[in-house]
Amino acid sequence: MLNIIGLLAAFENLTPMNWDVILPALNFLWQGMLAIFVVIGLIILVVKITGFTINKVTEVKAKRNANNDEQQNS
Amino acid sequence: MEFLLEGFQNLSWQQVVMWAIGGLLIYLAICKDMEPALLLPMGFGAILVNLPLSPVIREDGIINSLFQVGIAASEAMPLLLFIGIGCMIDFGPLLTNPKLFILGGAAQLGIFVTIILAAMIGFPLNDAAAIGIIGAADGPTAILVAMKLVSNYMGPIMVVAYSYMALVPIVQPVVMKLCTTKKERLIKMKYSAKQVPQLMRILFPIIVTVVSGLIAPDSLSLVGMLMFGNLLRECGVLKSLSETAQTAFSNIITLLLGITISFQMQAAAFLSFETLIIMLLGLFAFVFDTIGGVMCAKIMNLFSKEKINPLIGAAGISAFPMAARVVEKVGIKEDPSNHLLMHAVGANVSGQIASAIVGGLIVGIILPLI
Repeated sequence: MLNIIGLLAAFENLTPMNWDVILPALNFLWQGMLAIFVVIGLIILVVKITGFTINKVTEVKAKRNANNDEQQNS
Repeated sequence: MEFLLEGFQNLSWQQVVMWAIGGLLIYLAICKDMEPALLLPMGFGAILVNLPLSPVIREDGIINSLFQVGIAASEAMPLLLFIGIGCMIDFGPLLTNPKLFILGGAAQLGIFVTIILAAMIGFPLNDAAAIGIIGAADGPTAILVAMKLVSNYMGPIMVVAYSYMALVPIVQPVVMKLCTTKKERLIKMKYSAKQVPQLMRILFPIIVTVVSGLIAPDSLSLVGMLMFGNLLRECGVLKSLSETAQTAFSNIITLLLGITISFQMQAAAFLSFETLIIMLLGLFAFVFDTIGGVMCAKIMNLFSKEKINPLIGAAGISAFPMAARVVEKVGIKEDPSNHLLMHAVGANVSGQIASAIVGGLIVGIILPLI
């Protein structure tokens, strides 16, 4: 492990095991996953509500049309 | 007569190596049919920009100008490509089973795990995040995030992102098999081809845009263009615009994007030890994306009555529609009567949206820190 770190440290653009960078990166893991699931959860919720409303409206319309047809026939 | 030798005198071995890399990309595009629309222009571009004294990369050169206008100034090219992609996507399978959306989110795990690994290896935060976004399995998102975060490794990131997308059929099946038991791979899922109301199809892109805009405003440029394209497709009154966006428009942008990206493939910036590490990290990102999606499907099975075949979790990575096809192939291999394609497509298109949102989230979180 130390050998790998030593090898990486030999490159001027790399600073291995720099906790100033690692700690924020660890924070992103939970922040990012939480944020994406919140967005997705909200989208699913809104889609479900919209789908439910559209189905209800379609059902009501179909019922109303059926009633109108019955009234006209009678 | 000295001017005839000027090119040879300025030739370096690094440029010759880049010609070989360009040749390899062209070979993969033509002979192996790997993302030819992008790898071929990139391959040719790699040769073009690495010729000594190449005028195309000078300040007024064509590739430089295309790069400055189409990518650096406004990220216009990757964003415009998203309109075409949005037009091509049918969100029907996702709308019939919205919980598949969760798999799209989980399959972004590789992005965040790779950021951590890149940070441990020693990349600065902006570069680590730009490398992590390779796991979005989505070229335009990778380009946009790398640009926004001013990454020093744009060239390698772009090449690796597109190369691994082409390697999805090789990388994913191995990981899928390692993460699942035979019994799990044999789970059959019913697919009821419910008709999704047109109104729902029209409202969906608007809902996604508003929700992601409210929570992750930085993802709006990507998500907005993707959803705009989808609205063109679903509205039903702009058929010719939709067809144009799916074909001619997407083709033109893809063609220009491929050759423009090659601006970042100049030997001096491309050939480094870091490029090799980025290649490994890209593979790591794809592997963890797949693990994230498959494991999430397994966890969902603990709570749901109707079992999900965990293989479809792997389609949650963006790589559309290749990842869905891979899932179908692996499923059929286990049981020829088990067709998972439509479920996998649902997870796959959700991954497309999720990766765009994550791209925006990363820019939003990291940009203030650098």
